[in-house]
Amino acid sequence: MNEYHPTRTPAWILLIMRELKFLLAVWKTNIASAMEYRAAFIAQMLGMILNNAVYFIFWVIFFDRFRDVRGWELSDMFLVFGVAASAFGLAAFLFGNAFYLSEIIARGRLDYYLSLPRPILLHTVASRSISSGLGDFTYGILSYLASGYCTWDGFGRFLCGVVLACMAFTSFMIIVHSLTFWLGNAAGFAGLALNAMVTFALYPVTLFEGFSKLILFTIVPAALMGALPAEFVRAFSWGALGKLFLGALLLLGLAVLVFHRGLRRYESGSAIQVEV
Amino acid sequence: MPAIQVTNLHKNFQTKRKAVGLRGSLRSLVRAEYGTVEAVRGLSFAMDPGELLGFIGPNGAGKSTTIKILTGILFPSSGQATVLGFVPWKQRRQLAYQIGTVFGQRPQLWYHLPAIDTFSLFGKIFELDDRETSKRIAFLAEAFDIADLLETPVRKLSLGQRMRCEVAASLLHKPRLLLLDEPSIGLDVVAKQRIRDAIREMASLEGVGVLLTSHDAGDLEALCKRVIIINHGQIVYQDKVSALKRTFLTSKLVEVRYARQVAPDFHIAGTETLKVAKERYGVKLRFEARQTPVEAVMARLSEVGSVVDITISDPPLEEVIAAIYEQAERSEAAIAK
Repeated sequence: MNEYHPTRTPAWILLIMRELKFLLAVWKTNIASAMEYRAAFIAQMLGMILNNAVYFIFWVIFFDRFRDVRGWELSDMFLVFGVAASAFGLAAFLFGNAFYLSEIIARGRLDYYLSLPRPILLHTVASRSISSGLGDFTYGILSYLASGYCTWDGFGRFLCGVVLACMAFTSFMIIVHSLTFWLGNAAGFAGLALNAMVTFALYPVTLFEGFSKLILFTIVPAALMGALPAEFVRAFSWGALGKLFLGALLLLGLAVLVFHRGLRRYESGSAIQVEV
Repeated sequence: MPAIQVTNLHKNFQTKRKAVGLRGSLRSLVRAEYGTVEAVRGLSFAMDPGELLGFIGPNGAGKSTTIKILTGILFPSSGQATVLGFVPWKQRRQLAYQIGTVFGQRPQLWYHLPAIDTFSLFGKIFELDDRETSKRIAFLAEAFDIADLLETPVRKLSLGQRMRCEVAASLLHKPRLLLLDEPSIGLDVVAKQRIRDAIREMASLEGVGVLLTSHDAGDLEALCKRVIIINHGQIVYQDKVSALKRTFLTSKLVEVRYARQVAPDFHIAGTETLKVAKERYGVKLRFEARQTPVEAVMARLSEVGSVVDITISDPPLEEVIAAIYEQAERSEAAIAK
């Protein structure tokens, strides 16, 4: 006799679905909160697009004068800027608290997240949306469209690259901010690290060789935010995708490890706080 | 099984020490010195399911630290604790589904959004389905009288209104135990009363146990059956609230108003004169009811002159608790000597 066996969804898929549902609810609340002040929300978004455009004019003037830097041209600059800006914007918009983690730890504001039954790190970083991030994200797409590498499959690779670069960047931010558990307050250091990451991600990667290039893949993994995803967008290669994926995954693993190690040292606090 | 079982709990914090001023800061930059603050020192107690237990103590007594350990926010330095059968710092997430928490100084409601949005988010966080969440919100809105407030942005609510919404939000997932850390902090008398009434009603309606920390004795009187008083991280007193009153509320306060001015050196045998007011001919005094019977005091007061008005009351519970703190500090100092 034939028996009907319904297909059972594996437990790990159910777990991911569960957390995604929760994440979606947090993001919806974030966006609702950001949109409470409609004019400020739109002004921040448009302001950031304008800000990026003004900054990029420097590179337009530079490449108009020098044509290329070790084979790196203006179109490459558009592409790398597109990936990095979108990745940065996505991180700011979806994981805004990754930029404020030091302050959250130092002021004892993890209490709120610790008293709720959700993954503490994910819940914390996803609980703030920086409106200007949407401006960065949009500017990144515009920059990609202007790069000359624009095709349908290229756009798919662009989105994939942006997601992995965002993962690497957010993880890096979590790692440096988590040092607050040991240093007391790592906000200043995290600010320096953020600047280094963004600056090096936007520089032509052909400028770097040997040891300095190694640093861009390890200590300040800016290559995972700019050069590597840009290379993947330019032309599909398993090598570039593999390096990008592995790099982002390693950084994420390290971020989770460092944060949870530090959490044992968390001391809470009694400052008055609000969820915004 | 007790709802909460705490055995010999300790929590120490490392604090940096430095001398006053710039020189001290520079010296500490070169060679930092650290000291240890013992926030909780060997705390042991149990709480029954559905019990209303007050955890009272002055600022810095270790109340909040204890509640944070019991919710899994902090790791203890040593000792054991279980809450509803879970070890809080090891099984934080499982425990969080079973308990509700309110930190008076740490609002959970999103500041810029109407409270209903936080309620909906909590529904998702605690994995309730949408229909269940709506039904529960409607029930809590009635119980806490907040139906008209739910759609107003939290930033526009008064502190009392916000706190009612906070406590209601913490009950959304029908917790078995409510841990309230200073829920009445900063509230006026009316707002305090309303929040206490709502908590008491919910506790009796749903059988939720309540562990309440406060430095307001009024919370204790209004809500709790049993009290634990802590100071400097140690229990200095624990018993039923009624026993506390019986043991410590032995003196009486008397306020008398006479028809005519009384002498400035007014004194009645067996009493202590606290105040002789010139205006309205009032006198305030205190006596020990065990040593001087009430009738005797009344008779002696009438002998002085014609009494227009008289009030006899117990001293405020705050005074009693303050006396217990002082007593504990004196005995600690004696042991140290």
